[in-house]
Amino acid sequence: MANERGSSSPSPALTVTRKVDFTAEQVFDAWLDPKSAGKWLFATPTGEMVRVEIDARVGGRYTFVDRRNGVDVEHIGEYLEINRPRRLVFTLAVPKYSTLYTTVSIEIVPQGTGSQLTLTHQGVLPEWREATQAGWTGILDRLDQEMTTITM
Amino acid sequence: MIVDDLSMTFSALADPTRRAILGRLALGETSVTELAKPFEMSLPGISKHLKVLQKAGLIQQGREAQWRPCRLKAEPLKEVSDWVEHYRQFWEESLDRLDEYLKELQRKEKKRGKRKR
Repeated sequence: MANERGSSSPSPALTVTRKVDFTAEQVFDAWLDPKSAGKWLFATPTGEMVRVEIDARVGGRYTFVDRRNGVDVEHIGEYLEINRPRRLVFTLAVPKYSTLYTTVSIEIVPQGTGSQLTLTHQGVLPEWREATQAGWTGILDRLDQEMTTITM
Repeated sequence: MIVDDLSMTFSALADPTRRAILGRLALGETSVTELAKPFEMSLPGISKHLKVLQKAGLIQQGREAQWRPCRLKAEPLKEVSDWVEHYRQFWEESLDRLDEYLKELQRKEKKRGKRKR
Protein backbone atom coordinates (compact mmCIF):
# COMPACT_ATOMS: atom_id res chain seq x y z
CA MET A 1 0.00 0.00 0.00
CA ALA A 2 2.82 2.29 0.86
CA ASN A 3 4.17 1.81 -2.63
CA GLU A 4 0.94 2.95 -4.20
CA ARG A 5 1.06 6.17 -2.29
CA GLY A 6 4.65 6.74 -3.28
CA SER A 7 4.19 6.30 -6.98
CA SER A 8 0.81 7.93 -7.41
CA SER A 9 -0.77 8.80 -10.74
CA PRO A 10 0.93 11.42 -12.90
CA SER A 11 0.44 14.67 -11.04
CA PRO A 12 2.27 17.93 -11.41
CA ALA A 13 5.57 17.35 -9.72
CA LEU A 14 8.70 19.28 -9.12
CA THR A 15 11.95 17.58 -10.17
CA VAL A 16 15.46 18.56 -9.20
CA THR A 17 18.53 16.66 -10.45
CA ARG A 18 22.02 16.83 -9.04
CA LYS A 19 25.32 15.12 -9.82
CA VAL A 20 27.66 14.58 -6.87
CA ASP A 21 31.14 13.21 -6.39
CA PHE A 22 30.05 10.69 -3.80
CA THR A 23 28.86 7.11 -3.94
CA ALA A 24 25.17 6.25 -3.92
CA GLU A 25 25.58 4.80 -0.40
CA GLN A 26 27.17 7.98 0.94
CA VAL A 27 24.39 10.11 -0.53
CA PHE A 28 21.63 7.77 0.59
CA ASP A 29 22.86 7.50 4.18
CA ALA A 30 22.98 11.27 4.55
CA TRP A 31 19.16 11.29 4.34
CA LEU A 32 18.51 8.77 7.09
CA ASP A 33 21.29 9.13 9.64
CA PRO A 34 20.00 11.71 12.18
CA LYS A 35 23.47 13.13 12.78
CA SER A 36 24.02 13.68 9.07
CA ALA A 37 20.53 14.72 8.02
CA GLY A 38 20.21 17.29 10.80
CA LYS A 39 23.23 19.11 9.37
CA TRP A 40 21.66 19.89 6.02
CA LEU A 41 18.09 18.62 5.54
CA PHE A 42 15.35 21.13 6.46
CA ALA A 43 18.10 23.23 8.01
CA THR A 44 18.46 26.93 7.26
CA PRO A 45 21.70 28.95 7.36
CA THR A 46 20.38 31.21 10.12
CA GLY A 47 18.28 28.60 11.93
CA GLU A 48 19.33 26.14 14.58
CA MET A 49 18.39 22.46 14.28
CA VAL A 50 17.05 21.73 17.75
CA ARG A 51 15.56 18.27 17.25
CA VAL A 52 16.00 15.42 14.76
CA GLU A 53 14.17 12.13 15.15
CA ILE A 54 14.36 9.50 12.44
CA ASP A 55 12.72 6.09 12.59
CA ALA A 56 14.33 4.73 9.45
CA ARG A 57 11.98 1.94 8.45
CA VAL A 58 8.99 1.73 6.15
CA GLY A 59 6.07 3.17 8.11
CA GLY A 60 8.49 4.91 10.48
CA ARG A 61 8.22 8.65 11.01
CA TYR A 62 10.63 11.55 11.21
CA THR A 63 10.63 14.96 12.85
CA PHE A 64 13.03 17.83 12.19
CA VAL A 65 12.67 21.00 14.23
CA ASP A 66 14.56 24.03 13.00
CA ARG A 67 14.48 27.12 15.21
CA ARG A 68 14.24 30.19 13.00
CA ASN A 69 14.37 33.57 14.74
CA GLY A 70 13.03 31.95 17.89
CA VAL A 71 10.21 30.18 16.05
CA ASP A 72 10.24 26.38 15.87
CA VAL A 73 9.49 25.11 12.38
CA GLU A 74 8.65 21.43 12.33
CA HIS A 75 9.05 19.15 9.31
CA ILE A 76 7.32 15.81 9.72
CA GLY A 77 6.56 12.77 7.60
CA GLU A 78 6.58 9.04 7.12
CA TYR A 79 8.95 6.77 5.17
CA LEU A 80 7.08 4.92 2.44
CA GLU A 81 9.97 3.19 0.67
CA ILE A 82 13.53 2.56 1.81
CA ASN A 83 15.67 0.78 -0.75
CA ARG A 84 19.31 1.49 0.06
CA PRO A 85 21.08 2.96 -1.83
CA ARG A 86 18.82 3.49 -4.83
CA ARG A 87 15.47 4.82 -3.74
CA LEU A 88 13.90 6.62 -0.82
CA VAL A 89 10.29 7.83 -0.64
CA PHE A 90 8.75 9.79 2.21
CA THR A 91 5.81 12.04 2.90
CA LEU A 92 6.46 15.59 4.05
CA ALA A 93 4.38 18.17 5.88
CA VAL A 94 5.24 21.49 7.46
CA PRO A 95 2.28 21.93 9.84
CA LYS A 96 3.20 25.52 10.60
CA TYR A 97 2.48 26.50 7.02
CA SER A 98 0.07 23.89 5.72
CA THR A 99 -1.75 20.71 6.74
CA LEU A 100 -0.95 19.20 3.35
CA TYR A 101 1.12 16.06 3.08
CA THR A 102 3.29 15.98 -0.02
CA THR A 103 5.47 13.11 -1.27
CA VAL A 104 9.21 13.27 -1.91
CA SER A 105 11.01 10.54 -3.91
CA ILE A 106 14.80 10.30 -4.14
CA GLU A 107 16.39 8.19 -6.86
CA ILE A 108 20.13 7.68 -6.72
CA VAL A 109 21.98 6.22 -9.70
CA PRO A 110 25.73 5.50 -9.63
CA GLN A 111 27.52 7.46 -12.32
CA GLY A 112 31.25 7.11 -12.86
CA THR A 113 33.00 7.66 -9.55
CA GLY A 114 29.99 9.54 -8.18
CA SER A 115 26.25 9.40 -8.50
CA GLN A 116 23.25 11.29 -9.74
CA LEU A 117 20.38 12.18 -7.47
CA THR A 118 16.91 12.92 -8.79
CA LEU A 119 14.42 14.38 -6.37
CA THR A 120 10.73 14.45 -7.23
CA HIS A 121 8.33 16.37 -5.05
CA GLN A 122 4.74 15.41 -5.70
CA GLY A 123 1.62 17.00 -4.34
CA VAL A 124 3.06 20.49 -4.29
CA LEU A 125 0.00 21.35 -6.35
CA PRO A 126 -2.31 19.11 -4.33
CA GLU A 127 -5.72 19.70 -5.83
CA TRP A 128 -4.54 19.38 -9.39
CA ARG A 129 -3.88 15.66 -9.34
CA GLU A 130 -6.36 15.00 -12.10
CA ALA A 131 -5.15 17.88 -14.20
CA THR A 132 -3.92 17.06 -17.65
CA GLN A 133 -0.95 18.72 -19.28
CA ALA A 134 -3.31 20.79 -21.40
CA GLY A 135 -4.93 21.95 -18.19
CA TRP A 136 -2.68 23.64 -15.78
CA THR A 137 0.67 23.82 -17.56
CA GLY A 138 -0.96 25.60 -20.46
CA ILE A 139 -2.66 28.01 -18.14
CA LEU A 140 0.52 28.78 -16.27
CA ASP A 141 2.46 29.29 -19.48
CA ARG A 142 -0.07 31.72 -20.79
CA LEU A 143 -0.22 33.35 -17.43
CA ASP A 144 3.50 33.98 -17.40
CA GLN A 145 3.06 35.90 -20.62
CA GLU A 146 0.10 37.70 -19.12
CA MET A 147 2.15 38.69 -16.09
CA THR A 148 4.91 40.00 -18.28
CA THR A 149 2.44 42.16 -20.14
CA ILE A 150 0.98 43.48 -16.89
CA THR A 151 4.31 44.37 -15.36
CA MET A 152 5.45 46.09 -18.55
CA MET B 1 3.29 32.60 3.04
CA ILE B 2 -0.47 33.03 2.94
CA VAL B 3 -1.65 29.45 2.76
CA ASP B 4 -5.37 30.18 3.05
CA ASP B 5 -5.36 32.22 -0.12
CA LEU B 6 -3.37 29.51 -1.83
CA SER B 7 -5.81 26.82 -0.69
CA MET B 8 -8.63 28.86 -2.15
CA THR B 9 -6.79 29.17 -5.44
CA PHE B 10 -6.06 25.43 -5.39
CA SER B 11 -9.67 24.43 -4.80
CA ALA B 12 -10.92 26.88 -7.40
CA LEU B 13 -8.53 25.27 -9.87
CA ALA B 14 -9.46 21.71 -8.86
CA ASP B 15 -12.35 21.61 -11.33
CA PRO B 16 -11.65 20.93 -15.03
CA THR B 17 -14.46 23.22 -16.19
CA ARG B 18 -13.05 26.09 -14.19
CA ARG B 19 -9.58 25.46 -15.57
CA ALA B 20 -11.02 25.46 -19.07
CA ILE B 21 -12.77 28.76 -18.34
CA LEU B 22 -9.46 30.25 -17.23
CA GLY B 23 -7.80 28.85 -20.33
CA ARG B 24 -10.39 30.62 -22.47
CA LEU B 25 -10.02 33.86 -20.53
CA ALA B 26 -6.25 33.75 -20.91
CA LEU B 27 -6.92 34.46 -24.60
CA GLY B 28 -8.88 37.61 -23.75
CA GLU B 29 -11.99 38.87 -22.00
CA THR B 30 -15.37 37.60 -23.05
CA SER B 31 -19.03 37.40 -22.00
CA VAL B 32 -20.63 34.74 -19.81
CA THR B 33 -22.71 33.55 -22.77
CA GLU B 34 -19.55 33.08 -24.85
CA LEU B 35 -17.86 31.29 -21.98
CA ALA B 36 -20.76 28.87 -21.60
CA LYS B 37 -20.74 27.88 -25.28
CA PRO B 38 -18.05 25.15 -25.30
CA PHE B 39 -19.55 23.49 -22.25
CA GLU B 40 -22.82 21.64 -22.19
CA MET B 41 -23.95 23.65 -19.25
CA SER B 42 -26.71 26.08 -18.40
CA LEU B 43 -25.94 29.72 -17.76
CA PRO B 44 -26.67 29.33 -14.02
CA GLY B 45 -24.27 26.36 -14.00
CA ILE B 46 -21.53 28.47 -15.54
CA SER B 47 -22.34 31.36 -13.21
CA LYS B 48 -21.76 29.07 -10.24
CA HIS B 49 -18.26 28.27 -11.51
CA LEU B 50 -17.60 31.93 -12.20
CA LYS B 51 -18.57 32.80 -8.64
CA VAL B 52 -16.00 30.34 -7.28
CA LEU B 53 -13.34 31.79 -9.57
CA GLN B 54 -14.32 35.30 -8.60
CA LYS B 55 -14.16 34.48 -4.88
CA ALA B 56 -10.68 33.10 -5.37
CA GLY B 57 -9.75 36.35 -7.08
CA LEU B 58 -8.96 34.57 -10.34
CA ILE B 59 -11.39 36.49 -12.48
CA GLN B 60 -13.08 39.84 -12.51
CA GLN B 61 -16.43 40.66 -14.02
CA GLY B 62 -16.82 44.09 -15.50
CA ARG B 63 -19.75 46.30 -14.53
CA GLU B 64 -19.32 48.90 -17.22
CA ALA B 65 -20.76 47.16 -20.28
CA GLN B 66 -24.14 45.49 -20.45
CA TRP B 67 -22.53 42.15 -21.39
CA ARG B 68 -20.38 42.28 -18.26
CA PRO B 69 -17.15 40.89 -19.72
CA CYS B 70 -15.14 38.41 -17.63
CA ARG B 71 -11.43 38.82 -17.45
CA LEU B 72 -8.59 36.88 -15.93
CA LYS B 73 -6.74 38.14 -12.89
CA ALA B 74 -3.27 36.75 -12.86
CA GLU B 75 -2.05 37.52 -9.34
CA PRO B 76 -3.33 34.39 -7.54
CA LEU B 77 -1.90 32.13 -10.21
CA LYS B 78 1.35 34.00 -9.93
CA GLU B 79 1.32 33.08 -6.24
CA VAL B 80 0.86 29.42 -7.15
CA SER B 81 3.77 29.63 -9.54
CA ASP B 82 5.84 31.35 -6.81
CA TRP B 83 4.86 28.59 -4.40
CA VAL B 84 6.31 25.94 -6.71
CA GLU B 85 9.38 28.09 -7.32
CA HIS B 86 9.81 28.41 -3.56
CA TYR B 87 9.97 24.61 -3.27
CA ARG B 88 12.43 24.33 -6.14
CA GLN B 89 14.72 26.83 -4.50
CA PHE B 90 14.34 25.02 -1.19
CA TRP B 91 15.50 21.71 -2.68
CA GLU B 92 18.32 23.28 -4.68
CA GLU B 93 19.64 24.85 -1.48
CA SER B 94 19.15 21.62 0.45
CA LEU B 95 21.16 19.67 -2.11
CA ASP B 96 23.87 22.36 -2.00
CA ARG B 97 24.08 21.81 1.74
CA LEU B 98 24.12 18.02 1.31
CA ASP B 99 27.02 18.27 -1.12
CA GLU B 100 28.85 20.64 1.22
CA TYR B 101 28.22 18.33 4.17
CA LEU B 102 29.58 15.27 2.36
CA LYS B 103 32.66 17.22 1.26
CA GLU B 104 33.32 18.27 4.82
CA LEU B 105 32.92 14.67 5.98
CA GLN B 106 35.45 13.61 3.37
CA ARG B 107 37.96 16.26 4.44
CA LYS B 108 37.66 15.14 8.06
CA GLU B 109 38.14 11.51 7.10
CA LYS B 110 41.24 12.36 5.08
CA LYS B 111 42.69 14.23 8.03
CA ARG B 112 41.99 11.31 10.33
CA GLY B 113 43.53 8.92 7.80
CA LYS B 114 46.71 11.00 7.68
CA ARG B 115 47.01 11.07 11.44
CA LYS B 116 46.75 7.31 11.62
CA ARG B 117 49.54 6.79 9.15
